[in-house]
This record gives sequence, structure tokens and C-alpha cells, in this order.
Amino acid sequence: MTGFGRKLAKGAAALGVVGWALAAPPQAQAAPPDIVIGAVYPLSGNAAPIGHDAQVALQAMTDIINGHMDMPMLMGQGGGLSNLGGARIKLIFADSQNNPQIARTEAERLITQDHVVAVIGSYTSFTAVTISQICNRYEIPYISAENSSPTLSKQGLAWFFRPSPTDIDFSGAMFAFFAGIGKQTGRPVHSVAIIHENSVFGTDSSRIQTGLADQAGIKVLANISYQSSTPSLSVEAERLKAADADVVLPTSYTSDAILLVHAMHDAGYTPKAILAQDAGFIDQAFLTASGPLADNIMSRSSFALDAGKSRPAIAKVNAYFKPLDNGKDLNDMTSREMTAMQVLADAINRAGSTDHLKLQAALKATDIPGNQTIMPWVGIKFDATGQNTEGNPVIQQYQHGEWHTIFPFDVASAPAVWNVGK
Amino acid sequence: MSAAIIIQVAIGGLLMGLVYALVAAGLSLIFGLMDVVNFAHGELLMLAMYATLVLHQAIGLDPLVQLPLVAALLFGVGVAIYRGLIARALGIRFNTGMAQIFVTFGLSIFLVGTAQLVFGSDFRAITDGVLSNRTLALGKIVLPLSQVAAGLVCLLAFAALVLISRTEFGRALEATREDRDAVALIGIDRDKVFSIGWGIGAATVGIAGVMLANFYYISPTVGANFALIAYVTVALGGFGSLLGALVAGVLVGLVEAMTALVMDPSLKQVGIFAIYVLVLMFRPRGLFGRL
Repeated sequence: MTGFGRKLAKGAAALGVVGWALAAPPQAQAAPPDIVIGAVYPLSGNAAPIGHDAQVALQAMTDIINGHMDMPMLMGQGGGLSNLGGARIKLIFADSQNNPQIARTEAERLITQDHVVAVIGSYTSFTAVTISQICNRYEIPYISAENSSPTLSKQGLAWFFRPSPTDIDFSGAMFAFFAGIGKQTGRPVHSVAIIHENSVFGTDSSRIQTGLADQAGIKVLANISYQSSTPSLSVEAERLKAADADVVLPTSYTSDAILLVHAMHDAGYTPKAILAQDAGFIDQAFLTASGPLADNIMSRSSFALDAGKSRPAIAKVNAYFKPLDNGKDLNDMTSREMTAMQVLADAINRAGSTDHLKLQAALKATDIPGNQTIMPWVGIKFDATGQNTEGNPVIQQYQHGEWHTIFPFDVASAPAVWNVGK
Repeated sequence: MSAAIIIQVAIGGLLMGLVYALVAAGLSLIFGLMDVVNFAHGELLMLAMYATLVLHQAIGLDPLVQLPLVAALLFGVGVAIYRGLIARALGIRFNTGMAQIFVTFGLSIFLVGTAQLVFGSDFRAITDGVLSNRTLALGKIVLPLSQVAAGLVCLLAFAALVLISRTEFGRALEATREDRDAVALIGIDRDKVFSIGWGIGAATVGIAGVMLANFYYISPTVGANFALIAYVTVALGGFGSLLGALVAGVLVGLVEAMTALVMDPSLKQVGIFAIYVLVLMFRPRGLFGRL
């Protein structure tokens, strides 16, 4: 093209743009800016399956809040955040690699570079320690979705909020179940064997369970700790077999949970009952990899898929979530992740602003009735440490390929298969 | 503590130790041959486990039947890694040592990422193999058949490696190990020896992967669980020594199991590393090393 030709073409293009601008109708009022929320999860490494499920769950809840799906729960009507002109939530994920140092760096990057208004995380309690501390330093709320270590609430952090129950509540429910099932069947629990991974999650869990067993007059015949992602748990299984307690209480992440049930089987040991501290034992990958070895395993849970009667949103939310997560039903992790996003969205909406102090005040004033969530909890109200005081756990059992609520008895959907004392 | 538990734990440690030994043998062979530490060794194990899973799911082949197939596949992978990456890294004239480290380290990250992309990050397991979840009870001793088979296959693989070392190629391998420059003068194709050495090293870890897939979970990061132990085993046994890898593997398995039995299992690696430190202090070339 000649120099004159190029000038002609540029001129025509400029005229075209001006003409289009003049012809365009006056623009509607600009959409409010997106509310950016950070999420730190293990998206690679040994805990990546859980991280990916969390990614789907948080995005699904964001879709519900931003969209128009009309779910029967708080923020379920959609249309964005009404008090911020219908602003939409935008999620930014960061990969912690399940490493506390990387989790801290990634959380800091989200805060300083992406300017997130809050951070949600993080599956493992040891990554939550560093994330919650860095959030506290920058005065950005950290919503702990499913970290269950009670130590996290005792750090004295003003920006830490946890809707989920802790292992104190969970373990309390386990021992209440032992008392209840003992009365109901006449076959009480006399002894337990504890096995746990040795990070803050496992050690906290073991400490609480030992204390509760002591109070209940139940003997702790073994208390075994191991390092997560160990190549073998066969000796640990032998020690459990030698203890032969009424109930085995494992606190394990997915890979170790798979190894443990196989190791117990290979040692020729079938515990009378296994009551797990959630985590790896409720992961679909564990259930698939363990096959029949997972039958009748019990776990504490803060979610009950079969509580649809009192929580009408469960069925609709699950119907939306399940195809997104490769056919996996909502579970104890993914339900709590969705709830964490719901709690945060509600607080931002009530604050009517993304100002961190207003958001902190709104979070502190959170008061959500249980029936406005998908959780079987009484509700969500935070105490001075940021811990929900109205989250009550349930005990579930994996029977015939499905999780059934077996305790508290008044909300149970199936009787417990109870082999203790037989 | 009853005698039955001690015997059971010792057998478990021995069987696991044989697997450690075979994983370490491949690493030791490659290092002994050309002084290259393969940081992607654990990932080759992972690759073999996924290959076993895919073949099992796609055409229903039991892992035991797949042994020669996966071993051949990994042999090809080993040769390809040498030809495509290592030979080029060896050709770099500046900072060769670092280039070799980074090329295998980078390969390990690449393989983990690719596995996560292709297979997802979920944990998988073969639950319907001929040996899956089968046990043999001998009085109070219970033997998991999948692990017994793994131990036997590992011993057979070691026997095969010894046989290979006695062939003409084995002698060429040994000669190349002794003096990689001199062998060219007597008509040995050094490049060919190196690539076959890599092939055999990868096939060895491939066999361990197939047997592990019978009783262990499969995930993109599974190799890391075994890689560290493999490095310790090789250093303990002596770099380049097959017998060293076998003895050290079994020793590591037994010490790990016994430590977990008498101490807190979270400290079970203390026993392994204590022996490792002692060997380093008093016999730095390893138990059977000739360096």
C-alpha cells in the first residue's frame, strides 16, 4: 500500500469509529466493579484433589450469587450484591501446594497485587496458620472454610472468621455418639485407639480425643502419630491390631487414609468400628480407591446430604454442583466451602462497601439462621475469636455406597451399623 | 509385644525394602554409569504406575501380565530421556553439573504437571487385580499377597540385572563406567551404552511401579514418597553397586519398620537417617561402593 493509501485507510477507520460512537445509543449506567475475593487452596501436590473440589465449590457458590438461580437460601436469589448495585463477585485462586510458606506468599500476593477484599482457604490447618496471620497483618478478613484445628481460633487474630465447627465440637459429637449408641444398643465403647498425622490438625485432634476419652472413662489403648504421605502405614496398622480397641479414631488426609485401610486389611485386621475425623475419609477418591474396605466407616461431619427436609436448598444446590464436580455429590468439605463464600458475600452485602473495617464489623455482626444455609447447623454467629458458636456437627456412616446421618438420633436417616460388643 | 507382631512387622519391612531396593537399583545404575543423579526417578515410577492403571482400565490386563509391557515402555522412555535431554546436557561445555541437575529436576516437574493435566489430581487405585486385597494367613502371620509378589518380582529383577551384567553388553557397561573416554578406543559405542543404561534403569523402576500399583495408591506426586528413600538407599549401598542397592533397600525397609514398632511411628525415618549418617561418617562411599 502506498503512503497515500495508508493515510486514506487510517482516515476511513477513524471516521468509522467516530460514526459508530455517534450512532451508538447513550450507554446505560456503568456496571459496578467486581468484588475480588482470593482463595488459597492446594491445587497441586498430594492434596490437589481436595483443592480442585474446593475450586469448583467456591465457583459454584459465586455463580449462584452472581446469577439468577433462585436457590431457597440467603444470597441464593442471585443478581449479585444488591447493596452494592448488583456488583458481581470475582474469585482469584492461588495454589498453596499444601505448603505453609507458599500459602503465606500466595495470600500476600493476592492481597498486595490483586487487592482482594478477603481471603478464603485453605483445607489444611497448617496452611491456615500462615494465611490467617498474613491476612491479619494486612487487616483483610480470612474466612476459614474447613480448617478444623481449634488452635487457629486461639491465635488472637481479629480478622479470622470460621463458620465451621472445630475439632473440639467434632470430637465432642463423637463421644456424645458413643454415649448415645451405648445406651441405645447396650453395647458401650470401652476403649479407643487413636491414629493421627502429626501436623497441627492431627495433633490437636488427638489431644482433644484423649481428653474426652479420659472424661468419658474410655481407655485409650493406642495413640499413634505418623508423618503424612508416608510410604507405608503397615506397622501402624499392626499396632492398631495389637491394641484391638472397640473403636479406631483416625485423623488422616486422603493418601494416608487409603494406605491405612489397606494396611489394616493386609494385616488381617478388621476394626469393630472406625470413626474418622473427616478429611481424607470423606474424599470421594478415598471411597473409590478403598472399595468395600470403606463400608461402614463412620465420620464426623458438619454436612448432611440427607437433611433435605429441614434444608430445602440442599437438593437444588447439589443438583447444580454435582455435574460441575465430575458427578461428585456435595460433601463435608465442598458444602463448607460454599457456606464460607455465602457468609462472606452476605457480610460484604450488609457492609454495603468493600472497606475492610466495615467488612470486619459486618462479619462480626453475622447472624444467619441455619435454614438459610445448606448446613444442618442451628445458625452462624461469631464469637470474639471469630468462631461460629452455632455450628453443630453430625456423625455419618458410609452404608451401601452412600453417607447416611446416624447421629444425633433425632435427625438420623439410617440406623448405625454397630459391631462394638458383638 | 508378641513374637508374632515382631515377625509380621519384619516381613512387612523386608517386602517393602525389596521394593525400595528395586527403585534404588535403577537410580544407582544410571549414576554409576555416568555420574548423573536422575531427579526425575520418582516420576518414572509414577509414570509406570499410571501406565499400569491405564492398561488395566482400557484393556483389562492384570498388572502382573503387564510387567513386560510396562518395562518395555519405560525402557523406551529411558532411552528417549537420554537421547532427548541427557545427551544434550552432557554436551554443554559450561557448568555441565548444574545443567544435568536442572534438566532432570525440570523433567520431574514437567512429568508431575503433565500427569496432573492428563489424569487429574485424584488418587486412584487398582482394586480388582488378581492380587488386590488378597491375603494369606499362616497362623497369626498374615501375608498380603500383592506385597509378597512385589518382593519376589523385585528379587527376580535383581537376578536379571546380575545376568545382564555378565553379558557382553554388561561388560561394555562396566568398561564405560570405569573409563568413558577409553572405551571409544576399543570400539564401544559410548552413546549407545549410555542410552541402553538409561533404558534399563527406567525399566527397572517400571517393574517396581507395576508391582506397587497392585497395592499402592496412584497420584501425580506418588513418586516423591519413594524418591527420597531411593536416594538414601543408593548412598547407603554405594553409588553404582547393584548388591549395595539390594542390601541397603532391605536394610532401610527393616529399620523403618522396626523403628515404627518400637518408637513413635512419626519418627520412623529417624532410624533410616541415623544409619545413613553413621555410614557417611565411617564409610562415606557406602556399604558396597567402590568410588
